[in-house]
Amino acid sequence: MNSWMTVVPILIMVLLSVGIIPLLIWMERRIASMVQNRLGPNRCNIHGFRLGGIVQSIADVIKLLYKEDFYPRHIRNRFLFLIAPVIVFVASFLTFAVIPFADTVTIHGHRYAMQALPTTLGILWFLALTGLGIYGIIIAGWSSHNKFGILGALRASSQLISYEIAMGLSLVSMILTYDTIHLNDMVAYQSQTFFGFLPAWGILIQPLAALIFVITAFAETNRAPFDVAEGESEIVAGYHTEYSAMKFGLFFVGEYLAMTASAALIVTLFLGGYTLPWVSTEMMLSSPDLLIGGLILGQWALFVPLMLWIRKNNLRRGVVCNGRERERHVLLWLFGSILLISTALLGTMLAGVIDPLAITLLSAGVQVGTFILKLFAVIVFFIVVRWTFPRFRYDQIQYLGWYILLPLGLINIFITAFAVIL
Amino acid sequence: MAFTVVPRHGNTLKERMYLPSLIGGLSTTFGTFFKNISDTQAIPTLEYPEIMPTDITSRYRGHHRLTHRDDGSIRCVACFMCATACPAQCIFIEAVERNDGCDEKMPERFDIDLLECVFCGYCVEACPCDAIRMDSNIFSIVAKERRDFVVGKEYLLRVRGGYEPETSQAALGGEHE
Repeated sequence: MNSWMTVVPILIMVLLSVGIIPLLIWMERRIASMVQNRLGPNRCNIHGFRLGGIVQSIADVIKLLYKEDFYPRHIRNRFLFLIAPVIVFVASFLTFAVIPFADTVTIHGHRYAMQALPTTLGILWFLALTGLGIYGIIIAGWSSHNKFGILGALRASSQLISYEIAMGLSLVSMILTYDTIHLNDMVAYQSQTFFGFLPAWGILIQPLAALIFVITAFAETNRAPFDVAEGESEIVAGYHTEYSAMKFGLFFVGEYLAMTASAALIVTLFLGGYTLPWVSTEMMLSSPDLLIGGLILGQWALFVPLMLWIRKNNLRRGVVCNGRERERHVLLWLFGSILLISTALLGTMLAGVIDPLAITLLSAGVQVGTFILKLFAVIVFFIVVRWTFPRFRYDQIQYLGWYILLPLGLINIFITAFAVIL
Repeated sequence: MAFTVVPRHGNTLKERMYLPSLIGGLSTTFGTFFKNISDTQAIPTLEYPEIMPTDITSRYRGHHRLTHRDDGSIRCVACFMCATACPAQCIFIEAVERNDGCDEKMPERFDIDLLECVFCGYCVEACPCDAIRMDSNIFSIVAKERRDFVVGKEYLLRVRGGYEPETSQAALGGEHE
């Protein structure tokens, strides 16, 4: 049990960071297409199973893996050229390590922190590592020995000096509010209520800090509307112009990882983290009947709309090839049987004597599920924003960072400090 | 002299705050997203290989074809007007003397390199005999090797006009195929 409870958070972290990359690529493409009134990739299949197009991103990853590992001859410093995507990847990957996926689990008197690195550094770790990721981009642009690469790297660094301070200031006001840097304590704070009925989520207590942090998080992940470091019409592919195959793939994965990590931090800081609103961990542990009943209801509320959606939308009129009808049947059977089996299992638990260990694990599972749901909601927001707003010029980003976000952050800190003292 | 004052936008406080318009834009995209994801059947995308486009007009320039005379022989007189007009220089003609009394000359070879062709339609415009047309309605040209894209006289004679009788060459006073 000991070793399992330390391995599980690491597994969840790997799954939520690297494991969902194909899913993210798929979401990016399909959401983009849905926003633009088209369908997106939906043809790639394995024996007729398209899974809504997820197979396409698996095919893309395989293609990237099997591409020739090509080094342009003019690269002088091959070590830096090689290490740059690794820095981007590792920095975004490690950022994820301090995010708590569930409250601290207590089994037989032992307390297990449900985060991959059981450290209390929290926000400081995040700040340290996100700043590091930009080094990868700068090194990549410099070692590419390419004008477009260097321009992209310069733009990335100019962007860094514009957003980092505002981001830090918004985090300072959050630290003042929560009175801690440990992310798990922040989530515990957010499981309270204020004014008697509102959940004390960061976005409701500190809307200004939330706004600043979300804007700077977009800049930090190099995503639209702040994706100046690359731009086909201006500087080709920016810092990764000279990169191909899996070296480019690491940049690609690193960018998505940064997005997931930022989304996870937004969830943890501002959206109540792993907690359900109005439900704290103690409430879940003390009333197992309600927990299991709620779980049954919750999975019906999730699965039934999903199955109805599949029944309605997994086919297109007039398309009768690739075994789509069979895929729809199999998917409906699969989801239906999962739903029924888990309902039956939970029902037997509810009827029999409830093991406290099972309740502990179940409540942790509910919290992880809540976290994942919130994470995906924020990711969808990230993606839709990318397809909504026009890009900023890099001087506009500096103007925004220094003239608007920095004063706003400072004002917010003053207000927060007054409120905390009073 | 009359003049109009063009209203300048972007100076009111609401516009300078940006946030209302950002929220407006997000509500538009989210609205479209949810509308489309709740009913993917309503998305007007054509599922191409299964469902072919039906709205190709008779003016569409598709695959070339060579037309026939009333007796079924080739209409082309190998005057080289099309090959001269061709900006891509993709038409290759070898002429031969014609002895069946219809005319004096006909092509021995009439090759079109479809990979070079830019489908501009100048050959059709240039032809004095209405011998070459691009009304076959074939918009997808597929082959496995480069040399298969060079189509010859016999093939071009076999390609048929692709439109309804009233828009096809029969209605235009031409011949039946």
